[in-house]
Amino acid sequence: MKNTKTLSLLLAVLMLLCLLPACGEMSSPSSIVDMEGRSIELDKPAERVIALSAADCDIIYALGAMELLVGRGEYCDYPPEVLDIPAVQSGAQTNIEQIIALEPDVLFMSSMAQSEEQVAALENAGITTVVSDADNIEEVYTSIKLIGAVLGRDAEAEALVSSMKGQLDELRLLSAGDGTETVYFEVSPLEWGLWTAGSDTFMNEVAELLGLKNIFADLEGWAEVSQEQVIERNPDYIVTITMYFDGGELPEEEILSRAGWENITAVKNRAVLRMQNNELSRPSQRLVEGARMLYDFVYETAQTDKAA
Amino acid sequence: MKKHKEGLYAREYALMLVLLLTAAALSICLGSVNLPLSDTLKSIFALITGGDVSDLGTAPAILSTRLPRAACVALTGAALSLSGAAMQGLLKNPLADGSTLGVSSGASLGAVAAIAFGLSVTSLPFAGTVVAAMVFAFASLLIILFLSYKLDCSLSTHTIILVGVIFSMFASSIISLLITFASGRIKQITFWTMGSLAGSSYENALLLLGAFLVFGGMIFFTARELNAFAVGEDNARTIGVNVKRVKLTVLICVSALIGVCVSIGGTIGFVGLVTPHIMRMITGPNHKRLLPASAMGGATFLLLSDLAARTLLSPLELPIGVVTSLVGAVVFVFVFYRSRRMG
Amino acid sequence: MLKANDLTVRYGALTVLDGVDFSVSPGQWLMILGPNGAGKSTIVNAVSQGVPYGGTISFNGTDIRRIKPTERAKCFGVLTQNHFVGYSFTVGEIVHLGRYAYRDRLFTAGTDDEAAVASALDATGMTPFRDKSVLTLSGGELQRAFLAQLFAQNPKLLILDEPTNHLDLVYQRQVFDLIGEWLSEPDRSVISVVHDLSLAKAYGTHALLLNGGNAVAFGTVDEVLTRERLHEVYSMDVFGWMNKMLGVWQEETE
Repeated sequence: MKNTKTLSLLLAVLMLLCLLPACGEMSSPSSIVDMEGRSIELDKPAERVIALSAADCDIIYALGAMELLVGRGEYCDYPPEVLDIPAVQSGAQTNIEQIIALEPDVLFMSSMAQSEEQVAALENAGITTVVSDADNIEEVYTSIKLIGAVLGRDAEAEALVSSMKGQLDELRLLSAGDGTETVYFEVSPLEWGLWTAGSDTFMNEVAELLGLKNIFADLEGWAEVSQEQVIERNPDYIVTITMYFDGGELPEEEILSRAGWENITAVKNRAVLRMQNNELSRPSQRLVEGARMLYDFVYETAQTDKAA
Repeated sequence: MKKHKEGLYAREYALMLVLLLTAAALSICLGSVNLPLSDTLKSIFALITGGDVSDLGTAPAILSTRLPRAACVALTGAALSLSGAAMQGLLKNPLADGSTLGVSSGASLGAVAAIAFGLSVTSLPFAGTVVAAMVFAFASLLIILFLSYKLDCSLSTHTIILVGVIFSMFASSIISLLITFASGRIKQITFWTMGSLAGSSYENALLLLGAFLVFGGMIFFTARELNAFAVGEDNARTIGVNVKRVKLTVLICVSALIGVCVSIGGTIGFVGLVTPHIMRMITGPNHKRLLPASAMGGATFLLLSDLAARTLLSPLELPIGVVTSLVGAVVFVFVFYRSRRMG
Repeated sequence: MLKANDLTVRYGALTVLDGVDFSVSPGQWLMILGPNGAGKSTIVNAVSQGVPYGGTISFNGTDIRRIKPTERAKCFGVLTQNHFVGYSFTVGEIVHLGRYAYRDRLFTAGTDDEAAVASALDATGMTPFRDKSVLTLSGGELQRAFLAQLFAQNPKLLILDEPTNHLDLVYQRQVFDLIGEWLSEPDRSVISVVHDLSLAKAYGTHALLLNGGNAVAFGTVDEVLTRERLHEVYSMDVFGWMNKMLGVWQEETE
């Protein structure tokens, strides 16, 4: 009881202090709220940060703040130089001790990845945790602004967001699609069961943006579907994000050679695109690259192929 | 005196065959896309005779994916169930099945390694995971038998079960280790381990059929020896069964069947455990009746499970292993409860 | 008929049987006797090839390790003491298994199989139980079912490991009388491990007395079972005790 009282008193004092112009180096610190609605208390922009999700690494890079990154998550792979920064995860395991040893001010993470105990341990060590999970393009903008605010790079964040908006708008306007042409996204190949991206995925959102209809928009999130549904729904384009194994058959070749798929429009027109690098599944500015690749494929490559 | 016949009676065979064919027909006619029956029949006719299919829409294409899948599902169900029945008899242990020996874990390890290291074989009609799983299944069998033999040269049942369980755990931990290091491929590994017969091709079906005819056939020929083992290994020895040879034969055949099944469809649980149990309640423990009944029952059970996996949440497809485990566990409890109450 | 030479069995460093010799000829019933841990059951396990052993065991002059399992089953059959059957086989099926050695792998049973099974069931009084599940049988009925299997197997030599252990008197007598009757046919022998010295004296022709893995004596029952020798092996006056027990009964009947 006594503790609570002391704590609330302390908080009140802190809040009062924050109202004073003296601590106002950041634009308005109390206005930083992370993607889970938690307010983030920082007295100055973060100078040492760790980002667990690959998307956050992308964004930090795009904000020109790579020098602030002292640790990274297992899957951070862009740009390649990021691999020189120590990883604080192995597989699904996050190494809390290593994170604490790196003495970051802030840890960016996605909401699902860490347990409450882990978050508490980090907060106890004086590390501010920031959740930066985006589920759609609008939230990617929020996420970029959030990271910008934490790093004291609001201007860069604004610039990045408006550049993304500009490029995506341009692609939308250029796209001639009216939602009648269809696309099928393949996440896992037939060998392990077909998995696809339904609504509430970036792939679906980008497809809509480009005037295409995702044949599995009636499903939510990631879903296993049957071959016959793909055949029945007969997509005009197929996009696969299946991994390519060196020496193996190219995923697009494998799709083109599947029994029973011969009469699918996409297969007949050989309109199958492989996207290797998560450009369409990672909530960062690189979605624009993914959208551009899909645009180029649908409205240029595939059209020439059809004509040929 | 009443004439005692050991095999299944003709009418029992007929009944089981009718059930199996019905399940197969349902599997082919029903799916997440509903085809009119007339189109289905016309398409099958056209596929056989090579006739014109242009006016049948997507039916022929869909059937060309359903037919090999139904064949693979039926053969996998038959092989898993037959292996389970043989192991339950051989080890005189109603909780045994094809995975007791540890070979299926070995096969899983092979497949996971293939995914993790990106092994792929282009020159073969089967993907890299299939080949790796089979190689590992065979290697696991050799390791398990070698270890069992080193521990106990009479290859006693206890030793084999013990070594099998230890090997399974070892293989599982290596799988976990691989997943830790190949973290970028966790998604693929998870998809694979849930079991899928979605990508079944005629080549897969042929491979399964070949394995079933050769190794399943050999198991059918050991029905009398399995009866003796089910009564007791000492008893088998005293009535003149070549205990070691039969044990090796059955273990090798079961391993080969399981290896092929796991490599094609992933690990599908409960079929090999539950089907022989249910069949034993109908046919009794005599393997001359139990083995064919289990094979047909297993095929029927897996066909129906696969049908459920494909149609229940259509257009979503459930992993088949999830369906068999769910249905299997419930049926198992029900059957067990009933048999206990009846005494 | 069966001859064991220098039979030795070791479990690791432990020697359970140390160079035991014995033999049994047609018409003889050899009783293997001795206190617990003497190695009685180990002899049965060695003969049935259940444990590795040193020395040789031969049947009519041929090393039994050289005889094919099915041929071996025609030479001798073993009845063990504990039967746990996990599945509900019928008595008929259990007895049928006794014909395993006589069947061709590819072709089904001949009529002599049916006849052998029927007469074995008949001899053991198990005909009414033919279609009953073995799981429903009492201990004595189960033992008779396996004895019927052994009769159907029709070997020249029966090897019985405490065949009436845990059975009540009625069954003990039934089983021993059945075996005695079986032995009365020509060219047959029996080896049995027993605890009960009175049974050995009443039914046996020959005896092998073991103690701590060594053969103390081998010969006819009367030669082997002397007062001094039993006193030495069992560390008590066996004869005196047996007589005392018998005396109790005589008092009762008077």
